[in-house]
Amino acid sequence: MNRLLLWLFALTQAFTLARGSGEQIELRDPEGRVVSPLRESDVRASVFIFTRTDCPISNRYAPELRRLYSKFAGRRIAFWLVYPGHKVSPAGIQAHLKEYAYPLPALQDPDHRLVKLTGVRVTPEVAVFAGSGAKAHLVYHGRIDDRFEDFGKSRPTATRHELEDVLQAILDGSPIATSEAPAVGCFIADLE
Amino acid sequence: MWRGMAGAAILVGLMTLFLFALSCRNAGSAAQASAPLAFYPDIEPIIFENCAQPCHHPGGAGPFSLATYEDVRARARQIAVVTGKRYMPPWPPEPQKPPFLGERRLSGDQIERLRLWAEQGAREGKRPQNLVRSLPPEGWQLGKPDLILNLPKSFTLPAEGTDVFRNFVFQVPLSSPRYVRAVEILPGKKNVVHHANLLIDREQSSRRLDEQDPEVGFPGMDVILESSQFEPDSHFLFWKPGTPPSVEPAGMTWRLDPGTDLILNAHLQPSGKPEIIEPILGIYFSEEAPKFFPMLLQLEHDGALDIPPGGKDFVVTDEYPVPVDLDVLGVYPHAHYLGNIVEGWADLPDGRRQTLIRIHNWDLNWQAVYRYQEPVFLPRGSVIRMRFSYDNSADNVRNPNHPPQRVKAGNRSSDEMGHLWLQVLPKGGADQRIVLQETLMRARLGKYPNDFSAHFNLASVLQSRGRAREAIEHYRAALAVRSNALALNSLGTALQEVDQFEEAAACYRKALRLRPDYTDAHYNIGLLLLRAHQSERAIAHFEQVVRARPYDADAHNDLGSALFMQGRVQEAAVHFRTALRINPEHQNARDNLRLAEQRGR
Repeated sequence: MNRLLLWLFALTQAFTLARGSGEQIELRDPEGRVVSPLRESDVRASVFIFTRTDCPISNRYAPELRRLYSKFAGRRIAFWLVYPGHKVSPAGIQAHLKEYAYPLPALQDPDHRLVKLTGVRVTPEVAVFAGSGAKAHLVYHGRIDDRFEDFGKSRPTATRHELEDVLQAILDGSPIATSEAPAVGCFIADLE
Repeated sequence: MWRGMAGAAILVGLMTLFLFALSCRNAGSAAQASAPLAFYPDIEPIIFENCAQPCHHPGGAGPFSLATYEDVRARARQIAVVTGKRYMPPWPPEPQKPPFLGERRLSGDQIERLRLWAEQGAREGKRPQNLVRSLPPEGWQLGKPDLILNLPKSFTLPAEGTDVFRNFVFQVPLSSPRYVRAVEILPGKKNVVHHANLLIDREQSSRRLDEQDPEVGFPGMDVILESSQFEPDSHFLFWKPGTPPSVEPAGMTWRLDPGTDLILNAHLQPSGKPEIIEPILGIYFSEEAPKFFPMLLQLEHDGALDIPPGGKDFVVTDEYPVPVDLDVLGVYPHAHYLGNIVEGWADLPDGRRQTLIRIHNWDLNWQAVYRYQEPVFLPRGSVIRMRFSYDNSADNVRNPNHPPQRVKAGNRSSDEMGHLWLQVLPKGGADQRIVLQETLMRARLGKYPNDFSAHFNLASVLQSRGRAREAIEHYRAALAVRSNALALNSLGTALQEVDQFEEAAACYRKALRLRPDYTDAHYNIGLLLLRAHQSERAIAHFEQVVRARPYDADAHNDLGSALFMQGRVQEAAVHFRTALRINPEHQNARDNLRLAEQRGR
């Protein structure tokens, strides 16, 4: 009987994934409040940035993320920093936000629900949903830009800025050129 | 539901088959299909020895710790990938004979075990009760240093941007020369310091660059130091993550003089937040004077570095004919971001080829000094060669220029370099560095006929070998390239050796016009004036010297002599006494003091 229930649960999960909507996903912020990030109305897009307190590549992106946040946050684009896994504590998240001067709101994803919904694999990786509420749909997941080519192999500065281009396209109402681009970083599956 | 179960069964079947295939490939290895691998005992020894102990421990140079099972489990897949690519542990040189000290290269079997363990779920297993693991202590690895040097203030590395190459000047508060057996470098924030080189600046030539820059230190990937004496660099003083500080072998101390500066050339990598960098140097002295005199030889041909945009295989070569039997003790290759294949070797007189180093896929981030487990003997008549290739195409992701630009030699990170440094120890008893240096500088003149430093250094060599007239020619050739206070001063000393005192004095005066605070020139002209019985004028120059070098016994003695000749006996006696306080063995000062005391009565 237990097994049957498990299978049914797996089926529902698969269905949700296929639909690409996470309206009902509820997560907690570091203050312990329950947040439904994709139920927010009145945003044109939601950006989830998957990170980890101890991933050096993620941390090197803090200044670039602050720049993108200040450029887009006032234009009805919601930003969320997402910490997958159950090992990190709310206090650890708050200390990390302070250490890297992140002005972004944060969420903890202990059971990798957002991870599975978006299909991200590493930190740092981003997922962008266009629209809000029931209309929210995943339009991009992957790297922030092309600075990192591989472990230990990086460009002095990025030459392609996928996240920025996707957000600009949403604001402009123009088609989105890329729906995914491989990200380099720390594997989220290691946090299961 | 049944369908699902069948699917799972097939999956399990495939896994078994796959594992079986693996265990066949690694016949006799630990990767057995029967029992899944566990951290204890299969994985922990690999991680401890190669990752946790050198860098990945709390307070270590690695950006995160791998000291516990939990730490490693939270990186299991990442470890499998980075070891599979041989990005970690970082060890760029290819295997060779003789091997280097501290080689950190995983075997294919170890890499396979790490992969399999991650794939099988990164199980813990049971920690053996008798397992004891100790990590390196925080702070000084060699114990409390005899002298600790700090910077006047800290440096703040910005949160973002490209890598920073910064040079920090450490002044050494010594009152008499000491012999050094080790220098330990505490780089400050280990996670942002990628590597650091320590250079010995015997002429304080970097201080002015430091003063010109409002922040502490000054920028630049490479530092060029001026030196008027023949005092070639002889030791690699280097810090890289995870390598214990090196203590010089017995008999191979080096001399540190009062007034010498130590320059820490550091490669810093922004971390995402501003980082305060406070490097500290720990100096360990020895009472033992050096008995062996190694020297750093540099092969390079930066003048030939002119890489067209898009060029994928631009090659620079250089060679050095070995003039005496010698041992090669260590090697330090250096290129910037376009470097691709870096090779050094020696063609021996019997036709054999001795590899010195070979790095495929050069990565500046992991540049390092490599010391051989056993010295590499090269007989006289061998030819040391270097061959560096460069990739200036857009395919090289590290290319600092986008799109690629024409690149020449320079010390910015967007310029290029190609240097192969070797620490060599000539065979035989005496100090034979001068022979090596003469060969080196003649080779350099072959590459650059109008090179200031080649003429200048060759002149220094010739002068120290007693060939003043040849030296004068090369000093003059150097000065024809550019005017320089050091070269003028040295030319003056060579002219004195052939009794051309008037010309020598003119050189010192010219040197002082270029650098009014140039202590050596003040001293030399002071001596000349003393010799010409112009003691009144000599006093002013010697006063400059003792102000700049209050620990210089000779200068106090000479100032005393000049004062004595002016009849200022009491003042003279003060300086003779100072000279004797600094160096109680100073016979000349002792005789002079006796004379002054007799006259005083």
